[in-house]
Amino acid sequence: MEMRRRSDDDQPNEARERVARAREADELTPSASARTEDPVQMASDQPSAQPGALKLAADRAVVEPIVVPNMVWTSANPIAYGGGSTPPAITHLRELEEEDKSDNGRWGRFDIIPTKSDYVLDLIRLNSLWPLLSGLACCAIEMMSAATSKNDMDRFGMFPFRASPRQADVLIAAGTLTTKMAGPFLRLWEQMPEPKWSVAMGDCTTSGGRYKRSYSTVEGIDRIMPVDVYVPGCPPRPEGLIYGMMKLQQLIRERRGQWAERAVGPTVPQGI
Amino acid sequence: MAQQTRVRSLDDPDVFVESPATIYDAVPPYPPRTEREAEFYHLRDGEMLINLGPQHPSTHGVLRVVLKIDGERVVDLDPVIGYLHRGVEKICENGTWHHAISNCDPLEYVASMFSEAMPVLACEKLLDLQVPRRAEYIRVLAWELNRIASHALFMGWLSLDLGGLTPILYGFIERDEIVEMLNALTGQRVLFNYLRIGGVNGDLNHDFMSRLGDWMSHAAEQVENQTKLINENEIFVGRTRGLGVVDRATALRMCATGPVLRATGIPYDIRRAHPYSVYNELEFDVPTREEGDSYARYLVHVDEIKQSIHIIDQVLHQMPDGTVMAKIPRWIRPRPGRAWVSIESPRGQYGAYVMSDGSDHPFRMRIRDPSFFNLSLVGHLMPGNLIADTMAIMASLDPVMGGIDK
Ligand code: SF4
Repeated sequence: MEMRRRSDDDQPNEARERVARAREADELTPSASARTEDPVQMASDQPSAQPGALKLAADRAVVEPIVVPNMVWTSANPIAYGGGSTPPAITHLRELEEEDKSDNGRWGRFDIIPTKSDYVLDLIRLNSLWPLLSGLACCAIEMMSAATSKNDMDRFGMFPFRASPRQADVLIAAGTLTTKMAGPFLRLWEQMPEPKWSVAMGDCTTSGGRYKRSYSTVEGIDRIMPVDVYVPGCPPRPEGLIYGMMKLQQLIRERRGQWAERAVGPTVPQGI
Repeated sequence: MAQQTRVRSLDDPDVFVESPATIYDAVPPYPPRTEREAEFYHLRDGEMLINLGPQHPSTHGVLRVVLKIDGERVVDLDPVIGYLHRGVEKICENGTWHHAISNCDPLEYVASMFSEAMPVLACEKLLDLQVPRRAEYIRVLAWELNRIASHALFMGWLSLDLGGLTPILYGFIERDEIVEMLNALTGQRVLFNYLRIGGVNGDLNHDFMSRLGDWMSHAAEQVENQTKLINENEIFVGRTRGLGVVDRATALRMCATGPVLRATGIPYDIRRAHPYSVYNELEFDVPTREEGDSYARYLVHVDEIKQSIHIIDQVLHQMPDGTVMAKIPRWIRPRPGRAWVSIESPRGQYGAYVMSDGSDHPFRMRIRDPSFFNLSLVGHLMPGNLIADTMAIMASLDPVMGGIDK
């Protein structure tokens, strides 16, 4: 492939030439202007004698790689970014997408990072998950134990427990949710700004647990709000909660950039 | 409280959420039902109502307090409880006596060795059962360890609510060490489910004893370290001394027990006043203070930790040999009748009044939780104080919402 060819020393200049050539071709193509004038007329509608129908191919060929030269940043250690003086082989966004996208911190190998901002921001978010300090019952003790000296959650980037829902990313539902508390708890969830995640800690919040047959409890918080990670146990050990939070990090990493598409909002059955 | 409203969900305007309207507003949506309510919700010039809770870091769970304030001063307050009502008493009636043990566990979730003792002791009383002495000693050992864990958390929480973040880290070190020890003994860290009708579930094991030995070697020192951090801290003392003073008459009238009562100078301890288990064979003091303020309550807790370490020391020296379970049938049917049992939990007198109708499940079980009675003192303590001091007072009463709401 021509695009994969290793260009020699003055690659940016060559790129500019290519861009210029592409622009020329674009301007000379009559089909571009013809189509904008009459958008209803598609190529397939035209009889083959029409000149516009065949010119489309030229239009497509115009799409040359757009190369933005890196004029802002040079790596301090070129070895780390694919060998220093050799310019990157890949010059097209589509090829970049087929490349290795693991989080090895070497995206700087390329001149540009083609991404949605959420794709990057989620990487930042998942490494500083701020849980909401809202204990409901016994599980809250273990949640606090997970946050303090012995099992320091801080190590994994999930520490500052915020007391205000407006500053929190994760709602750790730790404890029994009763029908009286369901309203305020939902209110807390709704007050949290997107993007937000929730972790159901303990049997009571995953399924009702030992109070499943009580007249006054909600059998699992997934009846009133979406849940990302369930941590069963009565109560789970602090390590269990940390494992659950690490699963949440994994989930955010795997779905990064896509949180906007997930279902949000409560689905409240009648009568709770 | 019966009136419900339907509000639109913020995320999805097509969804209606059914919830009590009182949560959004300090003022309930119904007309006042009592004179007290009418007076409380009538605001004079300059007064306003604010909600404290149900989600608030220093209400220790899901307590909601409606404060009537004038500037920074609290004029009046109205605690609203029931946000953690799980129907434990009713669930206990539906299961057998054995089920009741684990159902009572989450009542006092900071020290659940005490709340799970309720159905056990009540059933043993109705059965006239003699528990093996080794089991009794193991129970005392587990109780005292749990008391220390609970008190260590209290000390951390109190200073956390005053804004000091460090002592809670020390408190949790101590607590985690103890619950890991109890985990080796019982298999659980929080809700132990260890006591059984007629004994305990499993003898002392090597893992537990080695951890206990380790811990005993530095327990006293650790308490010293922790108290050194806050005992004479100027800010801590300044914010707790002379604050929330309970006098003896009020404490007695409001049925306060435990450290709250002992901080007013009344040496009432169930372990001493009505000895149960093997406490009459053990030597310990009942620490008291005269002042009755938050600082005195804190100091009583510190002294109690030292006494508990002393008790554990004696228990380990006097531990008899033998079995840990009495010989009882698996199908337990106590005689019809009623029984009252009470023990000294870290928060005061933990009691249960139990009725049996001769079947295999309790007919009725009424649980007396000390936190509820201690917390009801806030109505006397708060008015006139600053809003910031309500935390210091509430934390020094050490409520656990699991027991208050049941
Ligand atoms: S799951 Fe168990 S420990 Fe957690 S809140 Fe429910 S009863 Fe308590």
